[in-house]
Amino acid sequence: MDSKLDMFEDVNTSPSLEGDMSIPGKRTTTATSASGVPEYNTLDEPIRETVLRDIRAVGIKFYHVLYPKEKSSLLRDWDLWGPLVLCTFMATILQGSSTADSMSDNGPEFAQVFVIVWIGAAVVTLNSKLLGGNISFFQSVCVLGYCLTPVAISLIVCRVILLATQTRLLFFLRFVTTTIGFAWATYASFVFLGQSQPPHRKPLAVYPIFLFFFIISWLVLSHN
Amino acid sequence: METPMADDLLQFRDYSGGAPAQINVNSPTHGGSGGSGGGSAGSGGSVGGGGANAQRQRGDPLADLIYDMTSSAQGFSGAASSGGSQPQNSSLDGSAGGGGGGAKLSLFTIEYYQQFFNVDTYMVLERIANSMIPKRASGNYLRMNIGENPDLYGPFWITVTLIFSIAISGNIASYLQQATDAYKWHYNFHLVSYAATSIFLYANILPAVLWALFKYSLKPVDSADAVETDSASYMPSLLSLMCIYGYSLAIYIPVSILWVINISLLQWLLVITAALLSGTVLIAVLTPALRNSQFSLFLIVGILSAHVVLAAGFLLYFFHNPTVPSLDPVAPTPAAPAAPAALKAVTQAVVNAVPGNQTH
Repeated sequence: MDSKLDMFEDVNTSPSLEGDMSIPGKRTTTATSASGVPEYNTLDEPIRETVLRDIRAVGIKFYHVLYPKEKSSLLRDWDLWGPLVLCTFMATILQGSSTADSMSDNGPEFAQVFVIVWIGAAVVTLNSKLLGGNISFFQSVCVLGYCLTPVAISLIVCRVILLATQTRLLFFLRFVTTTIGFAWATYASFVFLGQSQPPHRKPLAVYPIFLFFFIISWLVLSHN
Repeated sequence: METPMADDLLQFRDYSGGAPAQINVNSPTHGGSGGSGGGSAGSGGSVGGGGANAQRQRGDPLADLIYDMTSSAQGFSGAASSGGSQPQNSSLDGSAGGGGGGAKLSLFTIEYYQQFFNVDTYMVLERIANSMIPKRASGNYLRMNIGENPDLYGPFWITVTLIFSIAISGNIASYLQQATDAYKWHYNFHLVSYAATSIFLYANILPAVLWALFKYSLKPVDSADAVETDSASYMPSLLSLMCIYGYSLAIYIPVSILWVINISLLQWLLVITAALLSGTVLIAVLTPALRNSQFSLFLIVGILSAHVVLAAGFLLYFFHNPTVPSLDPVAPTPAAPAAPAALKAVTQAVVNAVPGNQTH
């Protein structure tokens, strides 16, 4: 009789535990979503939806870099996905070809291009902070990385031009393409980062950005 | 030391009610004067400045007069205790200390290094212009302009710009010298590494060596020399020397672009002109420090020689490719030649490839 009574009590306790667990989850979800409409917990959603949401956010940032009209959108929530993708893509293409004669291969290695992009972005960011800029480190690295998009596009165009037999006209086309990408990247980064400096120090902060994109564009143009 | 005590006693009599405040204000000042460090003098000046502001708020002319007398006494005691240039340094350090505040920042925060980047656009441009044009900077440029606010923005970014301008211009010069229809040109990325190594070594090690030589060869100071060189001798800090040397490299950025023009006479003319312009400015700016050294003549020759060697090294390594005579014997080709035209084509290709190897 005693053992039967204990088993009955255990069965009664189980539903109340489940009830306690569900209520905090709902409250957390309601508090987390600031848009007013209560969403279900994102932990339960399929992986595909999570990945698609992040991809859409990255795509929106690419769009804002190519069409730099809204200033604060890129700075509000920063991420390093775009810079990593762009950096890996450009370093893969820009590295010297190992199939040719090794004696004449003086192109940069993958690691050298990678280091130039990331260390360059870090140095430009540190310079901005040392001049008294009120921007966080990763926001600046994020902006500089995303602003490599025009340079990457010009790299793709140059690779397409290089498929044909090279003449002076085609070299001029590559030069113009690289110049457009460089000017566009510098302008976009200036739109995003220029306002974080005092007015009398803005040229001091903009010049390293100019130099950074100039060096990357030189690598793009020199690669043949 | 009797004069400050007299002033102190005088203040004590006049302001018996505020005696503790007055004593507290003046005691650190006298302690600072007794010490030998410029920082102590700066902090003393800062405290004095605070006292002056408090007194001026009351609007008491006698307090102003007493403050001026105290400052003069401090300056005189400072002159008696150390070198001739101490009083001006004291007053200047006082104003700088007042402006900067007394907070001591940790070495591992960004705010600590912001003091080395405390410049505006016009200051950087002014310093770049002063480093290129002789006779443009004033006689006390080293102490009044650089010594008060040495920055690392110009030295760092001028160095980085010079590294890449030399590497890019060197590749352009190589392209113009070698590229023909038969030879496929590849750019040499290693020029960036070589330029970076040589320029950073020059811009960092040479100021340190010069600073050590200034320290080592300091003339013994006696009263006559101290009085004579009161407004002329100055011991620059390591940061000031790095700042001056960094800006002195600015002239080589446009010169490296002009070195692409493959005319040997023009290239060497640019070497001499740039090295002499920049070296002359360096020596003119460093004259207050050189005058204080026993080996001033050797230091002058060393500074000019280092500048000429740097410019000549740039030209010879990055922009000058030796002409390959077309009559040089070439390695025999492994395959048998099919036709004389093909043989000539192969020979031409090999001859064109040789300068690339030598460059590498």
